[in-house]
Amino acid sequence: MTTGKITPKRESLLANIRVQRFTPGHDRSPYFDNFKLTVETGMTVLAALRKIKDDQDSSLTFRAFCRSAICGSCTVRVNGRSVLACSTQLLPILKDFGKGSVTITPMANLPILRDLVVDIDPVIDKLAKMHPYLIENPERIPQALEQESLMSQDELNSFDYLTDCILCGACYSACSSVQADPDYAGPLTFAKAYRFSIDARDNFRGIRDQAAIDQGLWSCVQCRKCIKVCPKDTRPADTIRRARKLTIDDGIQDTPGSRRAKTYVADIERFGQVNKPMLPVAVYGTKGWDAIEAAEASLTRHGMEPTRRVCTLPGQEGAARIFEKVREIEQGEKKK
Amino acid sequence: MADGRGGQSDQPRAATRTHCDRSDQAMLTYDILIVGSGGAGLYAALESRLEEDLHVAVLTKVYPTRSHTGAAQGGVNAALGNRDPSDTWEEHWFDTVKGSDYLADQDAAELMCREAPDVVRELEHWGAPFYRTEDGRIAQRPFGGASKPRACYAADKVGHIMLHTLYEQGLRHGVDYFNEWVTLNLIHDGQRCMGVNAYNLRTGRLHTIQAKAVILATGGHGRIYWTRTSNAYGNTGDGSAIAYRAGLPLKDMEFIQFHPTGLRRSGILVTEGARGEGGYLLNGLGERFMERYAPDKMELGPRDLVSRAIETEVREGRGGPDDEAFLDLTHLGRERILERLPQIRQLCIDFEGVDPVEEPIPIKPTAHYSMGGVHTDINGCTPIEGVYAAGEAACVSVHGANRLGGNSLLDILVFGRRAGRHAVEYARRTKLGPMPDSAFAEAETCLKELMEGDGKETVAGIRRTLGRVMSEKAGIYRDAAGLDSALADLEELKDRYRKLMVTDRSAIFNTEMLAALELRNMLTLAETVALGALARTESRGAHSREDHPERDDANWLKHTVAVRGPGDRPELRFEPVVITRFQPEARTY
Repeated sequence: MTTGKITPKRESLLANIRVQRFTPGHDRSPYFDNFKLTVETGMTVLAALRKIKDDQDSSLTFRAFCRSAICGSCTVRVNGRSVLACSTQLLPILKDFGKGSVTITPMANLPILRDLVVDIDPVIDKLAKMHPYLIENPERIPQALEQESLMSQDELNSFDYLTDCILCGACYSACSSVQADPDYAGPLTFAKAYRFSIDARDNFRGIRDQAAIDQGLWSCVQCRKCIKVCPKDTRPADTIRRARKLTIDDGIQDTPGSRRAKTYVADIERFGQVNKPMLPVAVYGTKGWDAIEAAEASLTRHGMEPTRRVCTLPGQEGAARIFEKVREIEQGEKKK
Repeated sequence: MADGRGGQSDQPRAATRTHCDRSDQAMLTYDILIVGSGGAGLYAALESRLEEDLHVAVLTKVYPTRSHTGAAQGGVNAALGNRDPSDTWEEHWFDTVKGSDYLADQDAAELMCREAPDVVRELEHWGAPFYRTEDGRIAQRPFGGASKPRACYAADKVGHIMLHTLYEQGLRHGVDYFNEWVTLNLIHDGQRCMGVNAYNLRTGRLHTIQAKAVILATGGHGRIYWTRTSNAYGNTGDGSAIAYRAGLPLKDMEFIQFHPTGLRRSGILVTEGARGEGGYLLNGLGERFMERYAPDKMELGPRDLVSRAIETEVREGRGGPDDEAFLDLTHLGRERILERLPQIRQLCIDFEGVDPVEEPIPIKPTAHYSMGGVHTDINGCTPIEGVYAAGEAACVSVHGANRLGGNSLLDILVFGRRAGRHAVEYARRTKLGPMPDSAFAEAETCLKELMEGDGKETVAGIRRTLGRVMSEKAGIYRDAAGLDSALADLEELKDRYRKLMVTDRSAIFNTEMLAALELRNMLTLAETVALGALARTESRGAHSREDHPERDDANWLKHTVAVRGPGDRPELRFEPVVITRFQPEARTY
């Protein structure tokens, strides 16, 4: 059998690769170097960096290891977007922008060690505080090695997608909340904590819940940038929502975040909308009055009349019925 | 946790150290030091740290979860009998020995297959999310060369979940991790282990780490073929090379397993699944050339045969424009590819820029696994007391001339654990001795010389030539003339290496220095591979000699052992193969 001579479609173009450089102790601030490189079909961002290092500038510094998107070493930003350099094809990017030029910078939200290499220890330190390991539930995990622990595929499926995480840090680099608050633990750490907390074989959920809250579980603004950049599609922001619900279900209800969530729910059932003017007190208790008074003073200054109570919207009855139905379903599930 | 360990306690140990800096301390001391953070290293670390009374550290040139264990996709073999209750460890043992082309030591292979169910279950008790059967046990699937379905798996990420589980439990139990530290040498007094010197990549500082026991678990050396490998950039055989330079023997180095279908540019594997689903192998002329080599099995012939067929096509001028062959899925149609092979399709788009729905995938055979390594016994012990090796860096030998799929992940678990256990006993009855200064000075000189070479040679230049020499002359096909010439080339490359200069002057994260150190290790090992291949005048398993195409049990049912001799050249001696139950037969499937 023959299909005739095979002529693969391969193209190339001369591109300008703009790379951010910085060596602490040597450079006062980061700057850019431009490298001219012939980019061919199949060339990844990582292959381009390797080629530049081999042929043009051996001091160009970046991390890379497996080249196959499983080790998580080579995260950089390409035209601002956090990606794995090894699984990002360069030619389509160059053609898309039509400029024959691409800009490569290190991950954001982390200190630069050199060029494209950042210090990822802050992420790992935050992760370690979450107790990111299984602590055996003796009811599920046998003492003897002769026996397997039993777990259904359904139980596994509830967190299996989270075990795809390769700790590449792309989500951390893209995270709005880390940018606003460097102490915030970042998407992947919450996702990893949640992975263990809902593992039926684990016995440490309560303490992990508290660790997550202490490290800012409720500070996520749900901008969902982590979902957009995750190379393994683990959807951290969705997991953070689930983790929040888990902490409330586990009885940690006295945090600003959980109070806010509960106020939203109660208000919508009651008014069909959130009673925003009173939200600071609902969330922060008496401390919230200062915020309310400041807001009211500002409204008055601008000639508006402040209110502390919102009206009940016309659709409220429908919303209340939805709530009732949800409660019914939840009751039914509990009985099961 | 038959012996009641494993921490059923509610509180984890207080100190969780994710990484150690200690850049201010020139000398550090540990009971057990593990070099390398893949499955074997992390299992050994955990096994010894669970004993609580010992200080254990892992030294790694990457971060532990970056290690190449994570790239293993298929499965880990253990005769659990969850899918086929008739499976036994004895059958697994036989499959392993037969797969090895009868070069595996049968006592070692027996031990591995007997202990397999325990190590897999221990990992599962630590939280490894293996996929499950209907009744909630660990799921298993069939694998090439196995008589029963016994590969435990988790989608296509079993190595990844195993590596992460071991790292997580190491964090929990207080293993110290030295991340991005490069080990330069092994220090011993001729009888006993004393420690290592290591280079902190972040600071450029050199340190001495004193240890009662050192476990080398640095993985394989597929990178000696440079771009023609599925291995990670860092699989440069550091531990094996360090051991060899310290006078320890390397075993069966000539055996390198090639996988027939690596992507043209990167060598990343396209799994057998693509051929199993009906993919054709085509040469540059569009001919389905397997008709000439395996008319019955066609594309589904054994790995070594398919690799050799591709190589022959290319050699005889029927390759593609870049000396590649093609894996064609286009005739399967878009729908079937999207439904049955979505991951393979994505892999080709991401890493090769080719959509298999539209055009054939360009492929080349690629170096995949190193059967050879540091010569050890069944406890990972080497001739120097307190020095151990485990995993792909070691050769026990359980894989002989050819490793069975699903046995590499098993090897690292069983022998990582055994090395850890033995090291614990050894460390308990041993005291630290005084450290000589000479090793530190030598390591310092080595780094200095690399910075001060006369600058005519570059890492990239030598490395490229090394890859070409090894691929062309000591790769899939070998013969006496080619191997002789390879040895001469390698001698020349060693000369060129002496003229190498690292032009990057920075002390901070000097990856050019790292590459230069890795290149030295690769050159060291490449020579032992070529020498072993030249000596072994037969074809067995992955070692294929055109001038000696038959297996020769009368003369070659033995291991080659390479030791560093005078003039920095390897010398060979031989060790008998341990045969306990299975007499050698023809290896046919």
